Amino acid sequence: MSKEKTRVDFNAPVRLVEQADTVADVLGISRTQLLIDALQDEIEELATDETFQRRISNAYYAGEIEFETVERVLGTEQASRLKLLRDSLDRDPPEPQLAGDLPTAEEFYEGEPPEWRPEQNAESDNELGSSTER
Amino acid sequence: MTDQAAIVVDTNVLLNLATPVVDSRPRAPTGGDPLLTVLSVYDVHVPRAVVGEITEAASGDDLLATAADAVLAGTDRLTTHEVDAQLPEPIEYGLDTGESHAIWLANEMDAEMLVTDEFNTTNYLLVSLALADRNVLFTTPHVLCKLGEREIISSEYVDAALSYYVETKQWDSHYVDRLRRLYLDD
Repeated sequence: MSKEKTRVDFNAPVRLVEQADTVADVLGISRTQLLIDALQDEIEELATDETFQRRISNAYYAGEIEFETVERVLGTEQASRLKLLRDSLDRDPPEPQLAGDLPTAEEFYEGEPPEWRPEQNAESDNELGSSTER
Repeated sequence: MTDQAAIVVDTNVLLNLATPVVDSRPRAPTGGDPLLTVLSVYDVHVPRAVVGEITEAASGDDLLATAADAVLAGTDRLTTHEVDAQLPEPIEYGLDTGESHAIWLANEMDAEMLVTDEFNTTNYLLVSLALADRNVLFTTPHVLCKLGEREIISSEYVDAALSYYVETKQWDSHYVDRLRRLYLDD
């Protein structure tokens, strides 16, 4: 975090500011320090929040924000993953080559392909996610 | 056969390709077979460990096990390789045996594509770092989009399959949507 500072003015509910001052007094820090700490905590918390991460990645894919912004918020690891994934969109998988027709399911599976049915009343739709996740 | 692109896939890719085929619920897409198609249009290679992991997954009667059964029924089409080498320590650490052997094999064979579905996690970074040429790294949705674009599988099927995966596997929907737009929108 840069040591350079910028001044921020904003209006907040009186009650909240009073509360903040009380808390700052108890902690023995300034109101400004309390606000800075609170803001930092909030950003750290958001960085691990899945919904927020999704929003950041969406904005990045859409080209609305730069890598540096993603890196600052999500950390280098996540940001690099997103960058690799976004870069991969510019590449094209090798050409599929089909010699003649696709085999029939019968030929491919040497019989009917296996079939899975949820057990009556035992399985919910959510079971799928957990049972097939890696 | 010989002019087909030589590719390497990991365990999850094979299971993911088979899942909509074996899932008989109405939410699963119908009218295509991603497993059969990928194994018929590419020259697909796997390390022995991948077959081992699929055999392991095949025990039981849940959706995953049934998908594994389907893959095993089609293993004739896979070229299996013995791999006993290891990737460098820090990379090996985060990946399972199937994945790390698949990367090793892809490097060794100079494969034209390595397909992995690790794209939701930071494992994607590890795979990317470990690959000699990271430009050969692709994902199942990307490959399916390519097949849809070429109409080897109907683009309607691919579209439905992508929605199915996003819903059931929590795949990054924005990434999948980008692919859709690139390949399936005319």
